[in-house]
Amino acid sequence: MASNIANLILILSILFSFLCNLFFFKKKNNLSIFFFNASSYLIILSFFLLIYFFCSSNFNISAVYENSHSLKPLFYKFAGTWGNHEGSLLLFIMIVGIYGLLFSRYYNDDSRFKSWVIFFQNNIFLIFLIFLITTSNPFDLIVPTPIEGLGLNPILQDPLLVIHPPFLYLGYVGFSLTLSLVLSALINKQLNDRWAKICWPWVMTSWVFLTIGISLGSIWAYYELGWGGYWFWDPVENASLMPWLVSTALIHSLLVLKVRNQMKNWTSLLAILTFSFSLLGTFLVRSGILNSVHAFANDPDRGVFILLIIFFITSVSLVIQILCSSSELKNKFLFFSKESFVNINNLFLLFFLFVVLLGTIYPIISSIFNKTISIGPVYYNTILAPFVFIFLILMSIGPLLKWSQSIGIKNLNPSLMIFFISILLSFLIIQFTRQNDLILYLGILTSLVLIFTLFYEIVKNIKKGSFYYPRLCSHLGVGVLFLSIFLNAYYSKTKDFEISMGETKVFDKLSIKFLKQDIYKINNYLEMKAEFKIFIEEKVFNLTPSVRRYLQPDQITSETSIQPTLFSNYYLAINFPDQNSTTLGARYYYNFLIHGIWLGLFLIIFGGVLSVFKKRI
Amino acid sequence: MNSNIKRRLYFFLVSLVVVLIVGQFVFKSLKKNTIYFFSPSDLYNSTEIPNGLIRIGGMVKNDSIKKSGNQYKFIITDKQNEISVNYSGIKPNLFVEGQGAVVEGKLTSRTSLTASKILAKHDENYMPKEVADALKKSGDWKKKYGK
Repeated sequence: MASNIANLILILSILFSFLCNLFFFKKKNNLSIFFFNASSYLIILSFFLLIYFFCSSNFNISAVYENSHSLKPLFYKFAGTWGNHEGSLLLFIMIVGIYGLLFSRYYNDDSRFKSWVIFFQNNIFLIFLIFLITTSNPFDLIVPTPIEGLGLNPILQDPLLVIHPPFLYLGYVGFSLTLSLVLSALINKQLNDRWAKICWPWVMTSWVFLTIGISLGSIWAYYELGWGGYWFWDPVENASLMPWLVSTALIHSLLVLKVRNQMKNWTSLLAILTFSFSLLGTFLVRSGILNSVHAFANDPDRGVFILLIIFFITSVSLVIQILCSSSELKNKFLFFSKESFVNINNLFLLFFLFVVLLGTIYPIISSIFNKTISIGPVYYNTILAPFVFIFLILMSIGPLLKWSQSIGIKNLNPSLMIFFISILLSFLIIQFTRQNDLILYLGILTSLVLIFTLFYEIVKNIKKGSFYYPRLCSHLGVGVLFLSIFLNAYYSKTKDFEISMGETKVFDKLSIKFLKQDIYKINNYLEMKAEFKIFIEEKVFNLTPSVRRYLQPDQITSETSIQPTLFSNYYLAINFPDQNSTTLGARYYYNFLIHGIWLGLFLIIFGGVLSVFKKRI
Repeated sequence: MNSNIKRRLYFFLVSLVVVLIVGQFVFKSLKKNTIYFFSPSDLYNSTEIPNGLIRIGGMVKNDSIKKSGNQYKFIITDKQNEISVNYSGIKPNLFVEGQGAVVEGKLTSRTSLTASKILAKHDENYMPKEVADALKKSGDWKKKYGK
């Protein structure tokens, strides 16, 4: 019964979606938009139904049976709704609909432009809806009703991971609206500065959500995986970084379009690429090509289907772009102007994209030829580092320049001052901490240049009484982020050790004492908590890392214990002990300035939020 | 030649050189940081011994783990050939005899490896794809691991 109602809603939604197309071709704009909205509301309804089925452990619904368990806490039953392929695809479609709904509500100009946007949005919606119903319907009926579900992967049972996928999807999928906006503008010949202003808040919203999604994933990896790091150049992480890089390039070129009415073709190309990379990210992560906790669907047919969808959407978009793009006046950029630096920024971001893309898909391509390989993190670090240095320097100069006019070198005197101060300061830091390393030196130097330049700009703005916060905030975030990344990489320490109860391990100024261990039974898992006393110089504190053994499915996860101080984290994780072993394996990490990384990410996001709500110029 | 064409030519040449240098840099780094995967049988059959970081996957042989302090010695097998592995460090939660594992390190001879990393798995039922392929190749693939 429940399954039938839900399926009926899905089918009705497809029908309405087709009606939207029909009325669009009959040029009945309002009816077309009406049916799109109706269809979206139905999908929202079906998503809430799925949530209800998960919360009430209705095991004759296939998605619930395969991914839930009656003993799970209610919170994770709820979150399990999108902790699986089918549910997350429904979430994906719902968000496509929501963005369309919001656009049709807040864009009040009832023109052909608007109905074209909704038309494209509707077709993206429809393609994925058909994919859902044919290959991965969450509401498939199971007869007879199973007594118990199979359970949710325990590593996903974490509050951060509950909100990580929705945020990431709000980002990825938000770019579907950007794509619809671009295609509609191309067809209606409205790709201009006015259009860029309409587009801006939508692009920024998606970008903010994507950035939040990536940050949450990183924070989760830091404290849940127990490997001490925050970014592992894992293909899954790369899959989310790639759309972020293209969309960041898009934001900058959109700015040129908004202010100067230039770079039209380039901007539209980036908008198409952004959504394609969002889809590619979804494909890589979900298809099961990559071994990871994200790969739900190990069904190759689904992978092929998603690949076809990506190919179809991208090629149709490109054809429209080629057919409808107007020939632009050849704009000559002066080298020392803002436009030209935005161009350079785009080149760098696309280069970063190329490096990440190559490292991510090279193993996949080589596995087709029966050679199994993997790419180590050193690849990314060695290639990206030198370009990041140049990028940071250009990033400090670019915003100081003027639109479409070259400024003399003289005007860059303050920058030179800042440069010399930074050289001196980073030299002192290196000497003081006795870490002689060129990469570290350049890293500190270039991030300091950026940070000081931004402070200089902020002071100058306050004096003038003019404020342009969003860019300053996000760029400051980038400076803080990179400074922290470099310092963290060079000043952090790690120790692996085996310890038995009552024993004290001494390393230099650090000693660790194993006090006791207890076992608790909580809800759906057993938890073994170990208590350690840590002595570092004058500081004494306790850390209580634990391991959990989940019963359904049988699996072990580590819970780290972290003592934060002003500049660093003391971080301890333990392993599940062997049955007849008296010792416990533990990993200790001293993570320097990890807060700086979170702060940097926060500033980047906050700048984006400011920019969404800023008054339109 | 008029100056406009000359300027474009210079621009083109400079871009070309930059692209070539950067491309060279990227591919060199990619090659240097590629970690190849071998099954014990692959190594047995290969004509030369790879000398760089490699990964080996298979099953951890029963009763083969010997431990003293932080030092582990064990055997990775694909039921045809074996590699003995030395590892010092903390073993991951799911590293158990009779289960699949992937180790990363450098070969000291054709049949022994000093590992710097044992790769952690995500869950009990999960078999690293590389290990599954290695076992399939050597013909020791049981139904219980799935397709």
